This record gives sequence, structure tokens and C-alpha cells, in this order.
Amino acid sequence: MEANTPELIRKSQWLRKELFDLVVKKQKGHIPSSYSINEMLIALYYGGYVQSPAGPKDPNRDRVIISKGHAAMALYPILIDKGYVPGSETAKFTDADGMLRMYADPSIPGIESVTGSLGHGVGIACGYALAAKCDGAKYSTYVIAGDGECYEGSIWETALFAAHHKLNNFCLIVDRNGLCIMDATENCVKMDPLDEKFRSFGFDVRKIDGHRYSQILPALNDFEARKSDRPMAIIMDTVKGKGISFMEGKAGWHNKMMSPQETEKALAELNQNPIKD
Amino acid sequence: MSEQNKDLPRDVFIQTIYEEAKRNKNLIFLCCDLGAKALDEFRVKLPAQFIHTGISEQHMVDMAAGLAQCGKLVYVYAMAPFATFRCFEQIKVALGAMRQPVTVIGVGVGFGYDDAGPTHYATEDLSCMRTIAGMEVHTPADNTCVAELAKLTYTKPHLRYVRLDRKYLNGLYSDRSDFKIEDGLVETAPGKDIAILSSGFPLHTALKVRERMKEQGVDVGVIDVFRLKPLNVQKLVALTSKYKKLVTLEEHFLSGGFGSAILEGLNDAGHARSVLRLGVHDEYYFENGGRKNVHKLARIDEGAVYDSVQQLIK
Repeated sequence: MEANTPELIRKSQWLRKELFDLVVKKQKGHIPSSYSINEMLIALYYGGYVQSPAGPKDPNRDRVIISKGHAAMALYPILIDKGYVPGSETAKFTDADGMLRMYADPSIPGIESVTGSLGHGVGIACGYALAAKCDGAKYSTYVIAGDGECYEGSIWETALFAAHHKLNNFCLIVDRNGLCIMDATENCVKMDPLDEKFRSFGFDVRKIDGHRYSQILPALNDFEARKSDRPMAIIMDTVKGKGISFMEGKAGWHNKMMSPQETEKALAELNQNPIKD
Repeated sequence: MSEQNKDLPRDVFIQTIYEEAKRNKNLIFLCCDLGAKALDEFRVKLPAQFIHTGISEQHMVDMAAGLAQCGKLVYVYAMAPFATFRCFEQIKVALGAMRQPVTVIGVGVGFGYDDAGPTHYATEDLSCMRTIAGMEVHTPADNTCVAELAKLTYTKPHLRYVRLDRKYLNGLYSDRSDFKIEDGLVETAPGKDIAILSSGFPLHTALKVRERMKEQGVDVGVIDVFRLKPLNVQKLVALTSKYKKLVTLEEHFLSGGFGSAILEGLNDAGHARSVLRLGVHDEYYFENGGRKNVHKLARIDEGAVYDSVQQLIK
């Protein structure tokens, strides 16, 4: 896949600012969790990986689930940009007559699954991957799970199954931002080494910096080009709140809103695109 | 009418959908490590449509939703307690909130897993499953009903919970033209003084009690509410209105179960009346002696039900 990195970097900034507006205007939503997967989403949707030529209901579309449902809102600007959702919906985010909700669901064109309760998206995505194998269909399924989400036991049930059934069309992307709501994962219940865990479950594993296209794109290319019959796990080290210095890597900002002064400072920082590579 | 069926309910159900699976390649049967005679052929002949998911009910249900979204006609199959409580939230989110027409088959409802104790008993599954929005709940009491229900799951796919008894059941409806699966309930045996409403295994207890009460000169009718949700309230009212007294009998906790649903249905239709609810009280049973003894302890065996019904006419 030949992706235009400078364009992706520009898109990164665009998505952060769109999400910023969405949250600041309504004082609702999850900025830090959305920003940690910002580059991966841009790569998937603008790097040529997620294809849906006949629109959001194309039966052969590549499927994406953001299983960490609090960050599923990060797709909204992309769905609007793709023309799946009217642009007028931005102003109605979480409003009674608005289509875009705090947690996404399939009533929104381009959203595949109900998410919000952790773990489900991974199992549901595995169902898509298995259905594709049953039907001989060529589409890929990408599911983004939080690292904290990996505490959910059902994820490991799915991991066993996906490997056993050789679902090499299944790409599990783990947003390793290191934080739950209250604290660092390693202070709550130790999770490292995640890559070895997935490898031992029978996955091909790539460990990358989730904010650098120079590492994201090769991993996604690998997923597509591999001859392996294993599912793939991309463990991406990320920074929760990436792009807003006072949020970066800090617990406590999960769904906390900024003061007017903080809002101003954050906006100034976003105007200096934090993504360089 | 009282002859024991030669097939287990699960075999009748699986055999029926197996015939459909041979015609419909989109039918997928997910199995959480629970065997059945009828599965032996299914899994060998249609290996692409039979999937052992490992003992992982949560994953099974989430994956079922994904498969159903991709156009598959999906069945999930496990022992009743594990097919329901273990993956309750998956059923809520991935099947309920996602509105997926998946059939959840639970085998061994009530105290069906003799000698196993509370881990294997399903005496809360009715209350749990009927609270899931959009979920139909079915408890067949004989194999005719099982087969008709199985057909319904592929002719009119819907989110359903099918409660199958683990044991052989006596036949009831093979020659009954008034039995219609769409009705949701049927008067199994007529009466006029007292009606016992039940479903599944305890319905057969009710029929025995009916015979004993006949000797007392009391005319007890038995009504089989094999579809508890959605309840056919119109027919429920029509069938029960002629009776002087109503009793419900269930192999399930009284809180939120069968009797509760009947009370709610009558009340909400403007026909509220006093109902004697017989079922399992707030207790878990570890005692030996199989289903028979546990029924005695829980006072839902034939003798205890007979005593309770007798008290009602005094």
C-alpha cells in the first residue's frame, strides 16, 4: 500500500481538531482515548486499508470496530468526511434529535457494532472474520481494543478461537496507552508483556509506535501482504491524550472537561501538529 | 398422551434444524461443549456449519452476533445456566441491543442436572432472559412442541431463548389439532374449578395432580404456557376466565419467574386476580437425591403441589 504520509499527518491534525470541537462545544465525550488511536484511524481510513466502494453497507466492505466504545466517537468526523453522515450532525452531537451519540451504535452509517461495554467488539469482530471465511469473502476485519479492555476475559476466549480457526483476516489492534480510568495498567494489574501473550495465543504480532506512520503503515501492509494463516495483533504504544500536553499520559482526564484556560492552551497546541512522522 | 417420547428434547430440536442446515448453508450451530445424539451426525456431515467454540460462552455469544450481522442464521447451544447467566451481558449487548435474531438454546432447565447442585441448576434463567428487550422465551413440554418451535426458529428468525428439558418428556400434542406454536399457550387438559398454569417439566407434575384431584371430585384444568414472552394475553384471559381459582407451577425461583409473568399479564390486561404461585423459594439446594428429592425439598413435587391445591379448595 502506497500511502502519502504528509497527507496523513495533515489529516491527523484535522481529526484532532474536529474531535476537540465536538467535545468542547457539548462538554461531553472522551478526548484522551480518541487521541491515542487518532493516527491508526487516519491510516486505516485514508491510507487505503479500509475499503467500502459501495458505501457503508457494502457487503464486501472491510469492517472496523472500535471496541473501546468510549473512543468510537473518534470515527464521527471520518464518517462525515466519507459522506456517510450529514455534516449537520456535528452540531447535534448527543442532542435529542442528533444521530451521533456519546457511544456509537449501528444506527449511525459506518458504525458496525454497539460498543461501550468492554470486550464485546472483539468477539463480534471475530464473528465477521469467521463469516468471511465461511463465505470465501475477501474483506478484512479490524478491531481496536484498549489495553485496559484486555483485562476482560472474553478477549482471550476470542484470541484462542481466532488462532485455532486461522482467521488471518482478523486484525486486533491494541491501543497500549498504559492507562485505565484511575491509574496506569501496570499499577492496577500488570499486563506486560502483551506482545508475548498474543504471540503465545497463536497471533502474528507487531509492536509499533501508534503515533508514527513510519511504523503504522508497515504493520498494516504486513497484515495485508502476509502469507501466514494466523490472526494478527498490532500492539501499538500510544499516549493517552496525545497532542494536549497536560493530558498526555495522565490518569484523570478520561472524560474530564477542560477549563476555559485549558481549552485555549490545548487549542494552541493542536494548531502546532504534534505528529511529525 | 402420556407415553414417554423416545427422543430427548435436544435431539428433536437439533435433528429438526439439522434438516434445515442441509438446505441452508448459512445456518451455523455454535456449541459450547454440550453433546447430543443428534449432533454426532450434524458435526460430521456439516463440519463447516458446526463449530465447537471451546468452553467460552461469552465469546460464543459475541461472535454469534457478528455472524448474524453477516447474514448467518445462528444458534448458540450450552447447558442452560451457562448459556444464560455466564454470558448475560453479552446477550444483553450483542444480541439484545444489537437486535440480532439468534436462537439461544439452554439444556437442563430447572433442576434438570440431577445431583449437580446450584452451579448446574437454572432456576433464574426465565427471569433473566425475559427481561432482555426483544427476547422471546419458550419452554416446550413435549417433543411436538419442541419440533414446531425448532421450525419456527428458521422460518421466522428472531431473538429467542429456548429452554429445553434435559430428560425424556411424555408426549402431549402429537394428535392435538388445537396445538398451535403461534398461540404460545394451550389448554393441555380441560377443567373448570382450578387451572394449573405451567410449562416444561412441571407441567407433567400438574397433569398428575389433576388426576388425583379428579378422585376428589375437583375438576382441575392444566394450561401449558409454552411461550412466556411475548405472552398471548388475550388467549390467557380467554382460557383462564372460566376457572374459579388459578395456580402457577414452576421449577424456577418465584421472583420474576413464570408466575410473576402470568400475574403481570393478567394485571396489565385488566384481569388482575389472585393466583397461588408455586415455585422455588429463595434458597439454593445442594442436597442429594436427584431432581425428585430437590422437588420435594422445594415443595414443587407432586405431593406438595397436591397438598397446596387441596388447601386452595378448603
